[in-house]
Amino acid sequence: MTVANERAPLLEIRGLSKRFGSLRALDGLDLHVPGGGLTALIGPNGAGKTTAFNCISGALRPTGGSVRFEAREIAGAPYHQVARLGLVRTYQVVQPFAEMSVLDAVTVGALLRRPHVAEARAFAGSTIEALGLGPKRDIIARSLTIADKKRLELARALATEPRLLLLDEVMAGLTPTECAAAVELLREIVARGITIVMVEHVMEVLMPLADHVVVLATGKVIFDGKPSEAVNDSRVIEAYLGRP
Amino acid sequence: MTIRSHLNVLGIVATALIALALGYHNAFVLNLVFVGLVFAVLGQSWNWISGYAGQISFGHALFFGCGAYASALFAVHHGSPWLGLLAGAGVAAILAVTVGFPCFALRGHYFSIATIAVAAIAEITATNVDALGKANGFEMPILPAGLGTLQFTEKGHYVLVALGLFVVAQLATIALERSRLGFYLRAIRLNQEAAASVGVDARAAKLTTYAACGALAALAGSLYAQQALYVGPEDTLGLPISIAIALVGVVGGLSTVWGPALGAFVYVALARYGGAKLGGTGNGVDLLLYGALILIIVSWRPDGLAGIVHSIRRSMKRRVVEPST
Repeated sequence: MTVANERAPLLEIRGLSKRFGSLRALDGLDLHVPGGGLTALIGPNGAGKTTAFNCISGALRPTGGSVRFEAREIAGAPYHQVARLGLVRTYQVVQPFAEMSVLDAVTVGALLRRPHVAEARAFAGSTIEALGLGPKRDIIARSLTIADKKRLELARALATEPRLLLLDEVMAGLTPTECAAAVELLREIVARGITIVMVEHVMEVLMPLADHVVVLATGKVIFDGKPSEAVNDSRVIEAYLGRP
Repeated sequence: MTIRSHLNVLGIVATALIALALGYHNAFVLNLVFVGLVFAVLGQSWNWISGYAGQISFGHALFFGCGAYASALFAVHHGSPWLGLLAGAGVAAILAVTVGFPCFALRGHYFSIATIAVAAIAEITATNVDALGKANGFEMPILPAGLGTLQFTEKGHYVLVALGLFVVAQLATIALERSRLGFYLRAIRLNQEAAASVGVDARAAKLTTYAACGALAALAGSLYAQQALYVGPEDTLGLPISIAIALVGVVGGLSTVWGPALGAFVYVALARYGGAKLGGTGNGVDLLLYGALILIIVSWRPDGLAGIVHSIRRSMKRRVVEPST
């Protein structure tokens, strides 16, 4: 591999836009995510964070712009194909396979790289174990607590063995103890070499965890840098609190 | 149910039906069993796409008719239905992909409506094409009996052939439940978008399944035509046939291995046997009974007869276990 390739970001987004009628949900978004580590994507409500995730992952077709994942253009590619390339997202509002057991639901994810059901089941089992859902493997997804549903969502995504994970508010609705456990989990995932981009509102969780913060407002990136700098940046403060 | 218990049930059912086919010579009963097996296969075909994958089809007669006409045409023009049987299955699979490709972009009821429309087009086409006998359909010549012509002098032999196809359909379903495709279909039914988010190509999975459904239903249609020695548009492509196939699946219990077989025998017992007993003067009483049964099952046990059998088995197990605890 050449030096240039090693320096190329894992995810490179240029001028990404998404319009819903006259609303510009994304208005020329530029974003570079280096391989490894955790990037936090923050911004006030309506800034376009979830729309960005939808357009990057293929759930929505962007109106314009380029999304390159591992130097391959994926803007407008079908959702399942993007997942196959190793870019998988989770949902802000959990989307479980309601009538499936935890093990079966995670097996669906594991089947992406392991076509044999027995192998996929075994891998799903170990993923569930690693996320602390082991005792609940036979429980039907519908009857899990919200914290466990979020963990299931994460387990299902991890079972596809992604290289880039987009996590949409995995901490929302968790108690402080559950949050602390989730932070540990995310550290382990990053340590395994999986790059994470996460949307999150709980700042005290994000700040020590993120290597890199990107602030979005009205569909544009207004800040891109270190977490410690973000909290003092006048544009960021203005976006959240308005002009003094 | 484990694979072993599925195979045990299948073995018992097959043995009992073989004994019946060879040892019992009541043509009326054997004919009911034959039609029951054909509908069990049709119901299973419907169950793959509408049960496991959750895409409710009200046009399954399209494939049934496709197989019936294809084998009938070959029996008339070439003296053997076999090539027609294979051609019918192939054409049905191609039709399924052709219909499915645009229609699987539609969600929910729109897919169901599209399936009705396509089957209606096929029925109207058959009604107007000279080579297919127009509205009257056509009769098939009586050929020397045997496996080569799929015509038999013994009713029981028709039952054996249909049983063969039924066993294949059951084994395929047992395998489907344990395959990657089976997992994918369930995931698509429960949440298509979430399935796509972890790499499931929903359209490819549905098209593959629908093609297999088409082929299986066409094979059932071929067997049916060879036994009736007649094909006609209403009898093979009509909406009532499509609805009967869907009802077999619903009454038996969606996404279960044995639901379609249970549904088929209830349907045949009520619609055919009941029709023979109650029909004639009191025409439609059988349909009334059947409608009432559907209402009861759908409102009381949406998981169908297979669900009822499942809970009876569970409560029996509990009763056996209880004294020791």
